[in-house]
Amino acid sequence: MTVLQVKNVTGGYTRKPVIQELSFDIQKGELVGLIGLNGAGKSTTIKHIIGTLLAQSGEIRLNGVTMSEDMNTYRSSFSYIPETPVLYEELTLKEHLELTAMAYGLDEQTLQQRQAALLKEFRMEKRLNWFPSHFSKGMRQKVMIMSAFLVNPALYIIDEPFVGLDPLGIQSLLDQMHARKKEGAAILMSTHILSTAEKYCDRIILLHEGRVRAQGTMKDLRKAFNMPTATLDDLYIAMTKEQDANE
Amino acid sequence: MNNLHDLWAKRFAHYMSEVQKYMRFIFSGHIAIVLVFLVGAGGYYYSEWLKTAPSDFPTAYIVAAVLAVVLAFSKPITLLREPDQVYLLPLESHMPLFFKQALRFTFFSKIITVIVPYIVMIPLLNATTDLASQTIWVIAAILIVLRWVNVQGEFAYRYANRGANIWLDYLVRGVISALAIYHFVLNDLVFGLLFMALLFVYVTMLAGKVKAQPVPYEHFVKLEQNRMMSFYRFANYFTDVPHLRGSVRRRGYLNFFYRLAKYGKQQTYVYLVLRTFIRTDDHFYLWVRLTAIAALLAALVDLPWAAFVIVGVLSFATTYQLKVALLSSHEFRMDQLFPVPEQLREQAVRKVLYVFMTIQAFIVAVCALFVSPHIYMYMVIVIAVAVITERMTKKPREI
Repeated sequence: MTVLQVKNVTGGYTRKPVIQELSFDIQKGELVGLIGLNGAGKSTTIKHIIGTLLAQSGEIRLNGVTMSEDMNTYRSSFSYIPETPVLYEELTLKEHLELTAMAYGLDEQTLQQRQAALLKEFRMEKRLNWFPSHFSKGMRQKVMIMSAFLVNPALYIIDEPFVGLDPLGIQSLLDQMHARKKEGAAILMSTHILSTAEKYCDRIILLHEGRVRAQGTMKDLRKAFNMPTATLDDLYIAMTKEQDANE
Repeated sequence: MNNLHDLWAKRFAHYMSEVQKYMRFIFSGHIAIVLVFLVGAGGYYYSEWLKTAPSDFPTAYIVAAVLAVVLAFSKPITLLREPDQVYLLPLESHMPLFFKQALRFTFFSKIITVIVPYIVMIPLLNATTDLASQTIWVIAAILIVLRWVNVQGEFAYRYANRGANIWLDYLVRGVISALAIYHFVLNDLVFGLLFMALLFVYVTMLAGKVKAQPVPYEHFVKLEQNRMMSFYRFANYFTDVPHLRGSVRRRGYLNFFYRLAKYGKQQTYVYLVLRTFIRTDDHFYLWVRLTAIAALLAALVDLPWAAFVIVGVLSFATTYQLKVALLSSHEFRMDQLFPVPEQLREQAVRKVLYVFMTIQAFIVAVCALFVSPHIYMYMVIVIAVAVITERMTKKPREI
């Protein structure tokens, strides 16, 4: 079943589009990696999906609806972990979770259960009443991750999740992603940590200059680049050289 | 950049453009009208009061105290920036030239803060003392000289001691300045000049200590940052200053307010806005300040219509500024993705505003008990103005 469907999307900040005719989809229970050089359009793509940027043309369907058709269903269907943690300096960790639970219509009992499990997993139980100003970058990232997993949506959108997390945090995140995937959630993850992407992603979308350069499993990608034994790093570098050659 | 004269000129031009940018907003905003009202009401009340001022009013004490406090605060405006501690290091020996220009600007920009209060007090001097008008103008000139000495003094003290125990310096300069002004107002030139001379000696002594010391960049840079920050804070009452981030405090004793937001999707924004308002210093102290001013004036002003205008205007100012502060957003926030209708945010801000404006109305009314039996009128006016302001003003533009 298709959770997210991006169809011929062209868009960006100004009239000059950053992404062009972008098309891909993500199925239930699938972890898809969004890979590309700096400025390839990864963040712009994500901004279009979460709805902070509107497409100039094309459409994005999440759980079958576009945002203009049904804002409530669309927004309830995903949670987002931004690259830089965006926290409310005036809310404690506990309140971040509570606010998120309220906004997504969780009942109090569900909140308590999920919160307890997440706090334990990310080793943040003792920081419940702390304000973000006392958190390190990694802890801030954990607050975002816990808020996102608390909601338990159909689609997770995770932007460059591993930077700033300690190794245990990374493992917890990967475990959580794996568990949610098994339960049927879809995950779109953008990252530069290619070895991790290669290891964990079911499919990979290679973005280049705002277009999908290649997408599919590692096998598909190797075929597309005609490099039968390549790692994702090799493919990435090959794409870079391609760019240099074109300039 | 070898020429420190140019450096100052450049800094100064940049500083002025920054100040002007925000001054435009300050003088064109709604709040300017509020200030005009308050000044008008205050002026009228003052002139009415002068007609009945008692002849034994302690004018000399008050004039001396007010002006001495104003004079003691003579913070140098150096316009130094953080990178200067690295890049200006080789130019250490040329720095006195830079500071000379900085202090000249500091002096000129601070003349107004002592002369304006003095001019306001001239009618008081005329009404309660028998100073000749010539003497009154001579005192004005003396105040300008005192400002110059105080500016030099504070700079020298900060330079020599890196700002440690600055209150001691404030105390010394404040007391000596007060004694000098006090004697001048009593027409006692000899003692007035004596204390002025004492101040000169103190400042000269401090200036002597400066010579052997390296430039305390860190202290002056910190001072500049704080000064710009308070300017931006001030400007923020009139317009949105994008790079301003308010500090946050828990204020646990106000936790009972959070019961206003019960657990549930509809209450999401009430939950958030309540906490944002109570815990962000900028928002909360704005309310505290304006409520305190309104309460104080309600307790002091016994002309009913003047009091009504004042509390009404302050209610407008509180409501309007808080509405702008609570609804504007420059950065991406997670609640922009919440599956909750956007109107709920506006409704939540409205609810929080009404709660805290009702509290303001109550405090003002209680304080008005000192001067008026009609305290319900105060409540009605504060609340009515708050509701009308909230309803009639537009929400801030998204940037």
